[in-house]
Amino acid sequence: MNAEQKRAWVGVATMTACVLGYFVLLPLLGPVAATAAFGFYGINGFAGFIGRRERVDERDKSIARRATLAGAMASYMAFIIGCMGTWFFVYASHRQEQVWVHTLAMITQLGAIVFFFTRSVAILVLYGRHVEADNA
Amino acid sequence: MPEITNLIRRLRFDNGEMTQEELANRTGVTRQTIIALEAGKYTPSLSLAFRIARAFNKGVEDVFQYQTPIRNETSPS
Repeated sequence: MNAEQKRAWVGVATMTACVLGYFVLLPLLGPVAATAAFGFYGINGFAGFIGRRERVDERDKSIARRATLAGAMASYMAFIIGCMGTWFFVYASHRQEQVWVHTLAMITQLGAIVFFFTRSVAILVLYGRHVEADNA
Repeated sequence: MPEITNLIRRLRFDNGEMTQEELANRTGVTRQTIIALEAGKYTPSLSLAFRIARAFNKGVEDVFQYQTPIRNETSPS
């Protein structure tokens, strides 16, 4: 297992801890406040210190590029769905056209979390599958 | 089924039982990439293919083989 895979596993484990934390806090704080558990995902930033000096070759770069692309696509979709879904929910249920301002910060956080989590999962999947070099 | 297969594992043993680590160091990649190449899980770039061939003092086509993909043709009935 190389450094990139280790970092990916840290990302998956951190997300698992966040989800478990959300369900632990849910009965205590309610559905909105319990999302604070996802702030724990910031711990994943320290995963960057894992294996900084390891050699990175063309296969690692190819997999990282594809995983980053997958993360960006998922993040964009999550952000758009979050924005439009929030507006639709607010308009459909409360008949108001303005959305609460703090939801933008939450949707942005959602997009960032989806990006890093999707990238982690994609890395773990791609290292087990057939991959072609970028300039093969 | 990957289109490009290789004889890297056999050539390693034929060249003084070269280890994967040695081949990786000679070609500038990680041992994990050599493992993936031998397992058919990675198709290398052209430059890496040449570096691997040169490590064995062989031509590229002596190390890598291109398999013509089999296409499923459906005829209208």
